[in-house]
Amino acid sequence: MSKVVLKNVVKQFGSVKAVDTLSIEIQDQEFAVLVGSSGCGKTTALRMIAGLETATSGDIFIDDVRVNDLPPRDRDIAMVFQNYALYPHMNVRENMGFGLKIQKLSGSEINARVQEAADILGINELLDRKPKELSGGQRQRVAVGRAIVRKPKVFLFDEPLSNLDAKLRVAMRAEISKLHRRLGATIIYVTHDQVEAMTMADRIFIMSKGVLQQHGSPMEVYAQPANRFVAGFIGSPAMNFVEATLKAEDSDIFITGNGFCLKAPLAFQPALQAHLGRPVVFGIRPEDIALSDDTSTDPGNILTARADVVETLGSEIFIHLACGDDTLVARLPVPDRPVEVGQTLRLGLNLARSHVFDKDSSNTIV
Amino acid sequence: MKNKLVSNALFYLLVLVIALMVLFPFLWMLSSSFKTQVDIIAWPPRLFFEPTLQNYIKVFEEQDFLKYFVNSTIVGGLAVGFSLLLGLPAAYTISRYTQKRLAVFILLARLMPGISFLMPWYIIFSRLGLMDSYTALVLSHMLIALPIVVWIMASYFNGIPTEMEESAMVDGATRQYAFLKIILPLSGPGIITATTLSFIFSWNNFMFSQVLSMEKTRTLPIAVYNFVSYAEVDWGGVMAAAVAIMTPAIIITMIFQKYVVKGLTMGAVKG
Ligand SMILES: Nc1ncnc2c1ncn2[C@@H]1O[C@H](COP(=O)(O)OP(=O)(O)OP(=O)(O)O)[C@@H](O)[C@H]1O
Ligand SMILES: [Mg+2]
Repeated sequence: MSKVVLKNVVKQFGSVKAVDTLSIEIQDQEFAVLVGSSGCGKTTALRMIAGLETATSGDIFIDDVRVNDLPPRDRDIAMVFQNYALYPHMNVRENMGFGLKIQKLSGSEINARVQEAADILGINELLDRKPKELSGGQRQRVAVGRAIVRKPKVFLFDEPLSNLDAKLRVAMRAEISKLHRRLGATIIYVTHDQVEAMTMADRIFIMSKGVLQQHGSPMEVYAQPANRFVAGFIGSPAMNFVEATLKAEDSDIFITGNGFCLKAPLAFQPALQAHLGRPVVFGIRPEDIALSDDTSTDPGNILTARADVVETLGSEIFIHLACGDDTLVARLPVPDRPVEVGQTLRLGLNLARSHVFDKDSSNTIV
Repeated sequence: MKNKLVSNALFYLLVLVIALMVLFPFLWMLSSSFKTQVDIIAWPPRLFFEPTLQNYIKVFEEQDFLKYFVNSTIVGGLAVGFSLLLGLPAAYTISRYTQKRLAVFILLARLMPGISFLMPWYIIFSRLGLMDSYTALVLSHMLIALPIVVWIMASYFNGIPTEMEESAMVDGATRQYAFLKIILPLSGPGIITATTLSFIFSWNNFMFSQVLSMEKTRTLPIAVYNFVSYAEVDWGGVMAAAVAIMTPAIIITMIFQKYVVKGLTMGAVKG
């Protein structure tokens, strides 16, 4: 059992509220990812859980014990720092055994545990090297190794992959996920990379400016974003946002903007009713836009736009579209006929998966 | 291309001028130490002369040079040792808890002319019966060594990422243990710099010993002064003594200069 609970935690640096009334509950064995743009308070939150920073107010519990006043060493946690923070004057073996030595374990016990961790991470042949003789990826493994030898209640990771190249990052992502299952550990993982968050997390916690915006499984935050920030943050390329107004005509509601008029799906109508005539933001993901040659489809979901830029990625293409004053990105499978720049395209939108946000509050209406 | 040549030439000219300005007194001292009194005060100064070792013989025979040497070593060594003992944790605290005011306060103590401490010290130490004791001299020399240690080491510690000890603390260490086992082992170049500089400053200090010590604890610079009497100044003896005193300092500097330069710039460029 290792649960981490934050209740109304605030951290103030002078006039800056780095973390604002943060309440989260992380379950035993959960892989929780704290994600948000740079400076949103992720690291600060993690450091408060570690005990490296004291909370200005609020309570932090690990396994129902209030740890606010416990120093890091009494919290039974392990942390992997962004720059790994390996001890330069110790070799890998000593680095990994450092915490065990403090626990006064016997030499043979330390050796056995270091060996076990080294086997898991495949760093056996590195044990006698100094950190400066390691590559970035190897250092990262050692840092993880130093965390797992101690078998702590909770693992804290602060952007551990951000210093690695793209390919290695993908590999380590899978490896950390595997490690999580193997150890059955509770992990709190901080990143600004939504792809990392989506691929690794059991539950994602999205923060912005110190405030928790939403939490849920990757699919939940992808499909049902709580507000415009979450909608724009999760997913790549990011969701398209277009300013619009809502108009009622006959028994239908239309989302109209500068160069388009879309018929809201029936399921949207009850929620949209209250916002008729008010400024809203219409959001649609690039992957929910498709080329539509079929003129017979209900025209309520058709958008006409000019192709401005076409990016070919091999398996798919991104088209930057100009529609009235707005620009959108569409993500499509490579079409049979190549799309020319300047060409006018007829696009079908999957409106059932689109969203409408209140322009003032940015909250999701549907 | 031509510009580069000109600027290079200017650069070396400047270096030469500065080097001459810095080295001239030293060279003058060195040559005088091998001259007779007559040669020294001759006008115009004699560039070529018959060198004599008489001055050095005088220094080592007439003066108890070895005793002064030992005293300087004891006083410098202890003052630097205690300054490290007190200054390293102080510097660490200043660095990690950004105690700027404390740091400035320590610097102020260093910037105050040493002579302003001498009167109170003289009174305090004589009341305590500590005149001519190593205690008094070591304490006074710590005024020189401690600020050097604190300032060099605080900026050195600033260059060590805080994650170092934070990682150790998460791993189960107390802050003190992390300081001893992680931070100090990484501070070698800084400690060598601070030690070298503060030892040399202590070594060269004349004033404190002149006032606070008598026969027993006199340090080396006093030996120079012994060649100055009411009637005349024995320039040859003064110069020879000065050279003899400077030599160890120069040797130490040459041995450690690599570290000193590294240590002094370490705080600036975060690695
Ligand atoms: N020690 C500190 N003193 C003052 N302000 C701080 C301190 N640490 C962080 N902050 C501020 O708190 C806010 C949150 O910082 P934090 O490091 O938690 O962000 P982050 O989400 O981890 O960002 P990044 O993705 O860039 O690492 C920032 O505005 C930062 O400037
Ligand atoms: Mg951070």
